[in-house]
Amino acid sequence: MEERTRRAPLYSQDPAPTPTAGQGFNFYHMDLYDSEDRLKIFPEEKIRMRGEIAKEPKRGERAPELGLATYDKRDLGREEKDWQYLGEEADEEDDRFPAWGSRGQYQELREAYRYARGRSSEEYECYVIPEEEDEEEAADIFCVTCKIPIRAFDNLFGEHKGHEVTQLNTAAENAREEIHKNMFKLEEQIIQMENFASHLEEVFITIEENFGRQEQNFELHYNEILETLAQKYEEKMQALGEKKREKIEALYGQLVSCGENLDTCKELMETIEEICHEEKVEFIKDAVTMADRLGEFLKTKTDVELSTHPDFEDQTIDFSDIEQLMDSINAIPAPHAPVINTQTPNSATGTSVKVCWSLFSDDTVESYQLSYKPVSDGAQSEERKEFSVNVKESHYSVANLVPNTQYEFWVTASNSTGVSPLSERAVYVTAPSPPIIKSKEILSCEHAALVRWESGNMNPVDSYTIELSKVDDEEPRNVVTESIVGIPTCESLIHLQPGESYLVYVRAINVGGPSERSEPATIRTTGTYFHLNKDTSHPLLSISEDGFTIVRGKGESSTRETRDSDTRFSRCVAVMGSLIPIKGWHYWEVEVVEQMDYKVGVASEDINRQGDLGADSSSWCMSHTFISSRHKYEFLHNGVTPEIQITVPPKKIGILLDYDSHRLSFFNVDIAQHLYTFSSPLQHFVQPCFSLEKPGLLRVCNGISMPKFATVF
Amino acid sequence: MALKQISSNKCFEGFQKVYEHDSVELKCKMKFGIYLPPKAETGKCPVLYWLSGLTCTEQNFITKAGYHQAAAEHGLIVVAPDTSPRGCNIKGEDDSWDFGTGAGFYVNATEEPWKTHYRMYSYVIDELPKLINANFPADPEKISIFGHSMGGHGALICALKNPGKYKSVSAFSPICNPVLCPWGKKAFSGYLGTDQSKWEAYDATHLVKSYPDSHLDILIDQGKDDQFLKDGQLLPDNFIAACAERKIPVVFRLQEGYDHNYYFIATFINDHIKHHAKYLNA
Repeated sequence: MEERTRRAPLYSQDPAPTPTAGQGFNFYHMDLYDSEDRLKIFPEEKIRMRGEIAKEPKRGERAPELGLATYDKRDLGREEKDWQYLGEEADEEDDRFPAWGSRGQYQELREAYRYARGRSSEEYECYVIPEEEDEEEAADIFCVTCKIPIRAFDNLFGEHKGHEVTQLNTAAENAREEIHKNMFKLEEQIIQMENFASHLEEVFITIEENFGRQEQNFELHYNEILETLAQKYEEKMQALGEKKREKIEALYGQLVSCGENLDTCKELMETIEEICHEEKVEFIKDAVTMADRLGEFLKTKTDVELSTHPDFEDQTIDFSDIEQLMDSINAIPAPHAPVINTQTPNSATGTSVKVCWSLFSDDTVESYQLSYKPVSDGAQSEERKEFSVNVKESHYSVANLVPNTQYEFWVTASNSTGVSPLSERAVYVTAPSPPIIKSKEILSCEHAALVRWESGNMNPVDSYTIELSKVDDEEPRNVVTESIVGIPTCESLIHLQPGESYLVYVRAINVGGPSERSEPATIRTTGTYFHLNKDTSHPLLSISEDGFTIVRGKGESSTRETRDSDTRFSRCVAVMGSLIPIKGWHYWEVEVVEQMDYKVGVASEDINRQGDLGADSSSWCMSHTFISSRHKYEFLHNGVTPEIQITVPPKKIGILLDYDSHRLSFFNVDIAQHLYTFSSPLQHFVQPCFSLEKPGLLRVCNGISMPKFATVF
Repeated sequence: MALKQISSNKCFEGFQKVYEHDSVELKCKMKFGIYLPPKAETGKCPVLYWLSGLTCTEQNFITKAGYHQAAAEHGLIVVAPDTSPRGCNIKGEDDSWDFGTGAGFYVNATEEPWKTHYRMYSYVIDELPKLINANFPADPEKISIFGHSMGGHGALICALKNPGKYKSVSAFSPICNPVLCPWGKKAFSGYLGTDQSKWEAYDATHLVKSYPDSHLDILIDQGKDDQFLKDGQLLPDNFIAACAERKIPVVFRLQEGYDHNYYFIATFINDHIKHHAKYLNA
């Protein structure tokens, strides 16, 4: 402590500190007990108290300092307040917190400080102020032995003869360095002390809180006891009064009847005496009557027993309830209701959630009971079953739950004294089940894929995440190379690199966290993959199991109307494909039979289903008809075709749809021959179309990279 | 074989030039146009030979066809020779527009007085390529040929008589069956004599019948309003039928409303350049 008090003023860089105790005792950093902070930390009461003390400075030698605490001298005043405050606190708390030091210790502290201050300033002068002696004769060297600057002359002849000396400059330099070093140390010390002080501050607060609570607790309990006692007293007093009145009344009754008896006796005596003075005849007459009456009276037993005891019958007073109350003061209170936490994102799995809660810091809890039940959506009236578990910790992983389901959780804490009230109810949700990718519906091209999946969950989920991993032959580990998050619907268009093979997984996400991965689906970004849309297929067409062979049987086209003519081709025996909605280019091939009549090409989604391919502006196609052993090729759009003769009938037709250059080209794949190119601005997305005008079959080939011969067109 | 540059004009970052040289085959001075694409400045390029039609010189194609942009894009050197020897002082050489000067028919004449000079077939398939390969950054392995009308006939016979020499061939309104058309009959009888069996060696429709290899992709554009088509000078149907029979791949496009001139050529020249680029740049 001494060290610290001594160092603090040095750091304050006050060139000439006034050596008053008040100024000197700023060993706490000023910010810390800044008046505002203090107001927050300590109840107002104490400040007021301090104010009173300031008004009547009867605390002996502290009075002058307190006097300085008037607010006109801002800086000084403020520091004073700080000091004064601390002193005050210390005084107040002296008895309870000896650790804070008695006033006596403070005294010592200050003395020590004064001493230290004095010494340090002496040292300071000793090193730094040689100039003061300039007027007489300048000291030019430094005596290391005596640590003072001296004249060189003295070293040779004077009292410093033979002492070790250095150049004054060097000495000054060294001294400065040392001071700097010390200053660094001081700074560290200051930081340390600041930290320590803020720690103390926290301790203050904690003590304040803890004791406040305990006070409340005591007050509560003692009041309860006092109330109970008062009540018991009242009861007893009342009972006592009752008893007294009862006894007195009884005795009084007895007294009255006793008096009556007495009167009767007296009367009888008098009557007998009167009779004795009468004539004999009279006497005899009356004596008989009298004797009867007397006999009768004497028959009546005179009760002289006390009907009640004058004593107070000793009654035991039952203090058991009071004892219980007394005991409960020292026993731990029953815990408060725990605070149940809201669900931590991504903490759940499909079948489990991790529930967390917390207790009040001063509660003693032996165990918790965690209860839960599924949240019913109101519509179902059936009572959902409730479950409970006992837990020691303030968290628990509840397992065996249903995926993507909300559960309501609440918790109670208990100890030997009792059970807390119920906590608030918190709703947790289990992670969803993994989605199911519709592998057969995946559409892809060289740069993208359209992946669709089933949610796999009854309830809606928040979003889906796609995980992609490139399939590398050399490295078969499936490292997820890309994730796409926050997909709101059950499909996503993902951008890919050409010529690769990917495994794609989907996870469903809700508040609880992500589901497990779905089963993977494979995507190859070589060429374009589409599938035939059976919903558009003319009734006479059938599509093979693998989805790529289109067959028209021998059956004749019936004239019956097709019901769902909105989507199905009803006149042209055609089927439409579903191409990924990505511009750029797409290439596919169709295997045909030479003598067959077919049309292959593209059409807008909204092509008239009652129309023919190539008949209007919404479709473009290559048409082949075989009439009297002659092949006729047409390239139809808007019902017109250029006149084109092709000498080698293609067996496999390559179709290149290029949105970038607005072209649709047809090739004879086997001989790499370019057949025709439509140059029309393809404003909208178009779909592959295939039709068989006579019985036969077409086979669609997907996933073919663009042949070199097609790249020119 | 010294070359003399007649003109040079920058065109689509390349150069359209005209040279003159002394032809050994034709024994006269011959001019040809050559387009050097920008790519030719850094490396060897495929060469596409253009054979013009009756009455044309090397100028018609290079000034009217508008092929430069496509050729620059695909990096093709395009060589356009003249259509016949000139100034050989042969009697009657300038008498008619469809015979003699400007009407060499891409044959090697066997009859007097033509047989000394009129050796356009050898000039086109032999002398000119050697000259080009020797003086320009040309890839000798990659050559193709196309032409118009009489030049179309020339392109077809050059390709069909030299299987594998040309990567591809195409033609605008070619004279497909000259032995059966008035122009052909006049020219062949003049250059080759009266023995019609000799004519068949220069007749595309006949040549197809003996063409050994089907790996020749032929593109033919024909204007539907071409007067010479109606006059029976071109006879494409005969050629197509022969090709269909022999499974020689031909795409024959009859273009509605077009006639025989260079406007028609200019309209479809890009398709033809692409057609050749597909093979030359493969």
